[in-house]
Amino acid sequence: MSAVWRLALRDLRRGGRGLLLLALCLLLGTAALAGIGSLSASVLAALDAQGRAMLGGDLGLNVSQRRASVEESAAFAAAGRVAETVTMQAMASAPGRAPVLVQLRGVDCNWPLVGALRLAPGALAARPHGDEVAVAPLVAERLGVRVGDRIRLGEARLRLIGLIASEPDRIGGGFSLGAPVLVDMAGLDATQLVQPGSLYESHYRIVLGRRDQAAATGARLVRQFKGAGWSSRTSAEAAGGLKRGIAQLGQFLLLVGLAALAIAGVGVGSGVSAYLAGKTRTIAMLKVLGAQSRAIAAIFLLQLALVAVSGVGAGLAIGALVPWIVAAVAGSALPVAPRLALYPLPLATAAALGLLVALLVALPALARAREVPAASLLRDALAPRWLPGVPTLAGMVLLLGGLIALAVFTASDPLLALGFVGAVFALVVVLWLIGAGIRAGLARLPRPRAPLVRLALANLHRPGAQTDRLVVALGLGFSLFVALAVIDTSLSAELADAAPAKAPRFFAIDLQPQDAGRFRGVVMHAAPDARIEALPSLRGSIVALNGMRVSDLKTLPANAWAVRGERTLTWAATLPPRNVVTAGSWWPADYRGPPLVSLEDRAAAALGLRVGDTITVSVLGVEVPARIAALRRVDWGGLGLNFAVVFSPGYIEEAPHSLLASVYAPAASDGVVAARVANALPSVTLIRVGDLIGQIATIIGQLATAVRAAAAMTIAAGIAVLVGAVVAAERTRRYDAVILKLLGGTSRQVLAAQAIEYLQLSLVLAGVALAVGGGAGWFVVVRVFELGWAPDWGVVALTLGAAVVVTLGIGVVGSLPALRVRPAVALREL
Amino acid sequence: MLAGLERPSGGSVRVGEQDFAALDEDGLAVARRGRIGIVLQAFHLLPTMTALENVAVPLELAGVAKAFERARDELAAVGLGDRAGHYPAQLSGGEQQRVAIARAMASEPMLLFADEPTGNLDTATGAAIMDMLFARRAASGVTLFVITHDPALAARCARVIELADGRVVADRRAG
Repeated sequence: MSAVWRLALRDLRRGGRGLLLLALCLLLGTAALAGIGSLSASVLAALDAQGRAMLGGDLGLNVSQRRASVEESAAFAAAGRVAETVTMQAMASAPGRAPVLVQLRGVDCNWPLVGALRLAPGALAARPHGDEVAVAPLVAERLGVRVGDRIRLGEARLRLIGLIASEPDRIGGGFSLGAPVLVDMAGLDATQLVQPGSLYESHYRIVLGRRDQAAATGARLVRQFKGAGWSSRTSAEAAGGLKRGIAQLGQFLLLVGLAALAIAGVGVGSGVSAYLAGKTRTIAMLKVLGAQSRAIAAIFLLQLALVAVSGVGAGLAIGALVPWIVAAVAGSALPVAPRLALYPLPLATAAALGLLVALLVALPALARAREVPAASLLRDALAPRWLPGVPTLAGMVLLLGGLIALAVFTASDPLLALGFVGAVFALVVVLWLIGAGIRAGLARLPRPRAPLVRLALANLHRPGAQTDRLVVALGLGFSLFVALAVIDTSLSAELADAAPAKAPRFFAIDLQPQDAGRFRGVVMHAAPDARIEALPSLRGSIVALNGMRVSDLKTLPANAWAVRGERTLTWAATLPPRNVVTAGSWWPADYRGPPLVSLEDRAAAALGLRVGDTITVSVLGVEVPARIAALRRVDWGGLGLNFAVVFSPGYIEEAPHSLLASVYAPAASDGVVAARVANALPSVTLIRVGDLIGQIATIIGQLATAVRAAAAMTIAAGIAVLVGAVVAAERTRRYDAVILKLLGGTSRQVLAAQAIEYLQLSLVLAGVALAVGGGAGWFVVVRVFELGWAPDWGVVALTLGAAVVVTLGIGVVGSLPALRVRPAVALREL
Repeated sequence: MLAGLERPSGGSVRVGEQDFAALDEDGLAVARRGRIGIVLQAFHLLPTMTALENVAVPLELAGVAKAFERARDELAAVGLGDRAGHYPAQLSGGEQQRVAIARAMASEPMLLFADEPTGNLDTATGAAIMDMLFARRAASGVTLFVITHDPALAARCARVIELADGRVVADRRAG
């Protein structure tokens, strides 16, 4: 072992406590990154591993509003074993209870091909046959029925034979309103809910002889029945949308983790500077004893590296355990149980980012340490103002570049990551400037007359004060929380207050055109003030843009949702309410020419479509080319009946369709409207908008919790920096305390001076968080989400209050040891 | 300047064959190795290392093979053979200064500088330390420079150079 190694280890053995802050900050930063990375990797891996079970076969083929033809069924059967299921939304009812929205699924006798249906103990049969039904426990609870009772679905009264405990290939079906209800095909027929034009979907799951042929077979079958509206998915693609969502959320949380690491970097910088400042005499003595600058740098670099590796290692260990912890604590909130394993890639990325940050912020302190002169042993001069030299700056630029490159290129959306890294960097610079400005400003203020306030104020700007660092470290974390509070409460307000005022009470789907008059009569009888808007609706997918097949496009723009899967379409003679034409012109009300279409303006922009372009829409297997006559701006926030794609009347009217209606009525009539419609028109599905909003609010709540958990790491890192600053200032505080006591000050007065100092600091931090976090939140709410600005200032005030309490609390508690010092003892030591 | 801790703002400082004025901080560090030992008023032991390790450091930095054996001998020579495993905080002021002397002598320097070596010690301990320094000088033949305000201590030296306000005001040689 070389002398450098030996000296580094020997010094670390007794003198390494000063590096605790460095280790703690790196631990927090890497734990955040590694934890988030591991969790999203484990969920994605679970989705991959369960792809076959989620899809229910090797290959899935879907079509809307019809079943497979004889020819199509024969082709599927030739490819492998086939199971057929039909899904739709429906209303279930039982005497004396409000009808319940359910996700009805009819299955054939081959289902399930993969996995098994399990009913809860007490079931009367293994699966429903004929006039039998199995329901999710939630449905039974809401309807107040027990196994053996009958429930009504459409025209059928079915006997409940069991509660669904687990059902294969349900999650692969994507987002659905309503809890699961399962019948066989005979039961489905008995409900008479499947009618021409009603909104249902037929799924064909195929188990192939060779799984690796899934994609090719799917493509061949879709090609064979080209234009018939088929879409295919392999088990590998089973959870495509969900995976995209998880990956995006994971990416966003990782960015929050990067913010935590940036704060941790401030702490690491403080820790390293304080540690090396405390080593000045040791360094000078080593130089007296013959050590060169290179050896000095090597000794302390080794120490820092050892501590950094331990901190990062511990952070990785915690991060790697996050999937286990989340699965145990909040497993039910996840879409699938995470696949519990070690994921080397996110761990390696977190480790590399952590070590790069540590090296980046340690470099200037190390460069400064190697320049400590041996003569500093002879006198206690104030350290001269030091600026890093060109090699140090070059090294820092190189490390910063590497750090940004690593953060950006390991991200699934490099552009977003680059923007975020840039924003965090800019924010750190702005906060630093604010901190430095506060220091400079306080120094120029006239001195207050009260001595305690004067001392407290001086502590914020005197040489060596860490005000600027604390503003950056805590300011970033608190700003993030304020931004979250502002965004979260604005969204909730929009959902809870603004929307229902102008939103309908109900949506009715699967309303047959011939039942429209009766529906109107029933609703108006139940709620005489009700207003009903009804539009025809049918499902279709955009299959070509200006003659170019969407399936032939190599890449789709990120926000090209309009061409992903099927959309609900309508036609209208006049411009729908709450819509504004932004380009082109609406067709005359009596137009009967070749099909025209109007697209929502942002969907068109995402696809690069303009007025005059042509899109081809496949409706029930028939391809309808239509010229874009107008683009519209749509007010989605009002939750009324809105469509991205609206056709001109005429040709499209030939397709089987149902009506989609919205019912505007007083809230008090909800129950009676639902009950009477269920009774009179059992095939009509009523969706209460309140339930919809509730479901969205739940999802937003879960997302906010996830983001808050990630953001908590930034606060933890910020607090570590604060604790580090308190510890670093301990000697100064003891000195102040002793001198004040010597001059006749009481412990209470000394404590008051320190409390005033931290109160001032925390008020400054609250102000910074309000300005920076509020500004960022406003941008997200108003500019990104285009929603009303309605934050709950009470929640924001609570967040800021927490910021003040945390800062003040840690500062004052950290100052207590200084109060207990006996002046006589301290004066000998200080 | 003679110890290579400060560089002259003008003129030259020659120690042996070397011009210290021409050396940078690192050059001075290397020049001190094996040639110059320093004992300071405030001891300046490395607080994180034991007495033995403190004495071994200059030898290790110079790449001496049996650093710890020689360090042990030096500690024994200042009467601290049984305190080798103690940290500076566990030693008295006099003991700490003896460790500092052992550390300065460990690399068998040609020149030994003692800067107010008794300034932080009581009279009796200070006298004992000086006795030891002179004894070590006699045994090893090292040239000892004592920087002091104490005329009695200065009187024990072979040559006394008196400085006032940074200038030499007297240069006397004993008998």
